[in-house]
Amino acid sequence: MASRSSALARPPAFRGVGRSILLTLPMALWSLLMFTPSFQHASGDHYIGAAAVILFMTGLFFLMMRTGETYRWRRIFFVALGFLFPVGFIAALVAERGTMSIPISRMVSGDTPFCFMVTPSIILPAAFARTVIFPGSILPTASNPHSIAIMIGLWFALTLVMGKAWCSYACFFGGIEEGFAALPKRRRLHRFITRFGAQLRLIPWAILVFVVLVSAAIFEPVYCMWLCPFKAVTEFPAVRNVETAIQMVVFIALFVGLVVVLPYLTKKRTQCGFFCPFGAFQSLFNKINLFEIRINREKCVDCGLCQTSCPTVALSKDSIREGKTLLNCMKCGACVDACKKDAAVWHLKGTPVAAKPERARLLFLYGTWALATMFGGSVLANGVHTLIGFLPLK
Amino acid sequence: MRTRILTILAYTGAALTLVVAVCVPFVLMGAFSNAVAHAGLHIDAAYSGGTVARTIDRGRYTIVVYQPVEPRLLERIEPFVQIVFEPAESLPAHVSDEIDLDGDGRPDVRVSFNVPADANAPLRGDVTALNATYISLTNVAGESFSRMVVRAGKQIVVRIPLHEGPARR
Ligand code: SF4
Ligand code: SF4
Repeated sequence: MASRSSALARPPAFRGVGRSILLTLPMALWSLLMFTPSFQHASGDHYIGAAAVILFMTGLFFLMMRTGETYRWRRIFFVALGFLFPVGFIAALVAERGTMSIPISRMVSGDTPFCFMVTPSIILPAAFARTVIFPGSILPTASNPHSIAIMIGLWFALTLVMGKAWCSYACFFGGIEEGFAALPKRRRLHRFITRFGAQLRLIPWAILVFVVLVSAAIFEPVYCMWLCPFKAVTEFPAVRNVETAIQMVVFIALFVGLVVVLPYLTKKRTQCGFFCPFGAFQSLFNKINLFEIRINREKCVDCGLCQTSCPTVALSKDSIREGKTLLNCMKCGACVDACKKDAAVWHLKGTPVAAKPERARLLFLYGTWALATMFGGSVLANGVHTLIGFLPLK
Repeated sequence: MRTRILTILAYTGAALTLVVAVCVPFVLMGAFSNAVAHAGLHIDAAYSGGTVARTIDRGRYTIVVYQPVEPRLLERIEPFVQIVFEPAESLPAHVSDEIDLDGDGRPDVRVSFNVPADANAPLRGDVTALNATYISLTNVAGESFSRMVVRAGKQIVVRIPLHEGPARR
């Protein structure tokens, strides 16, 4: 197998076309299986949306097989997910209620779709008082199919397979900032981020502890009501008094600052790396996930390319010296693709490091990409279908 | 030997992870959702209004009276009681009802509001407290979780705040 070059330069073919097609075949069949029900809609827009997603997801998987690179192709999917999710979601809200805001009447009737980001906030009241502090419904209803049971079931099933890779293959919010981080050529504030990386990495944990404890004390989903940057591009409580007006300002400021401006300046996922409490919570599942990234010390020359390329600062000088990533590694593959010495490798826990890195990558990708296709693919199909609806074709 | 056993275990685990992934859309998602659905959880009363105390039949429509809701720990809501008028389509154009909330046979509040023909039109109403336990509301819509007269689908939801302290029984 040819060795990989930098993520920026086009690598030589890693695998022949025939073998790449063969390895892609299971994913192509899986995509067809996942989207066959969509074809039964028989409406042109749905048909196009589903067909586009099958081609898109299968095509990207083929390119991962062919080039041996993960990050570049995964990023295309993830950014598309990040930008198409709000398109479908907002269009559905506006069509149904004419606004992105949630009036209090919909909260008391349990019509707020559940968002996985709230999960850490609801754990303690659910465990100790059997109470869910979210204005949704436990079971799906006609007016709220995204019930708490459905969304938690979905999140947990995906997390069992993906672990923290959720943040690279499933979370549409992460895709938005990855999109803004991909835009500039130059990295700014790099020295600051490297120097204070350890402190910055602690912030999401601090916010997680704060959110969990305060939510349990005041019986309110604090993150949801006060700290979620993504309210700005999904739905938010209707402004009805000074408090909800301040919340609105906070949501917009966090979104602009952490999801647009800072990622653009730094080429890092600043919200994910230095703020998101759900991301910190999700890191815990890295402990039970079998796949990880390791640094082969025999090949590593301590050039720091992997550290620079990491979107969430999940590598430090010390961790590289120990041959490991940090707990917040979301298995995006950027460091593996950036390493010119093939020292950063995919790894299956329990096996010798760097023994069969491509086998580990394949095993990881089959499970993770399959679920990315199932979950993210349906979000993409919905977004495409919505966009087609905007076109003056009919 | 240890490395070999670990490697076998690791690949077995990886294969199991793949099996789990394939099972997610067909079995696991539903199974986990069912487990959550049957965990005996309920939505916080600040949002759901709490548990139903009794219903009052008014012929064309029904009034559902809920148990009073008290804030827990540091919860930032006033104590309130929820009543629901349903179905909204069967209500007369103007509702003015005296309602016994505590079940002692005497009315506790008078609730009045106009029911717009358009379900999306704004709704406002008044609540007159007929004893010292309840707080009157004038021209209220969806001000807060403890003070509201709102249309929620096929229901008109009214929340009446309760006095904290000596006025409470
Ligand atoms: S860190 Fe938070 S926002 Fe970022 S991808 Fe993970 S869950 Fe999503
Ligand atoms: S350590 Fe590597 S795989 Fe992990 S988040 Fe950073 S770049 Fe991605």
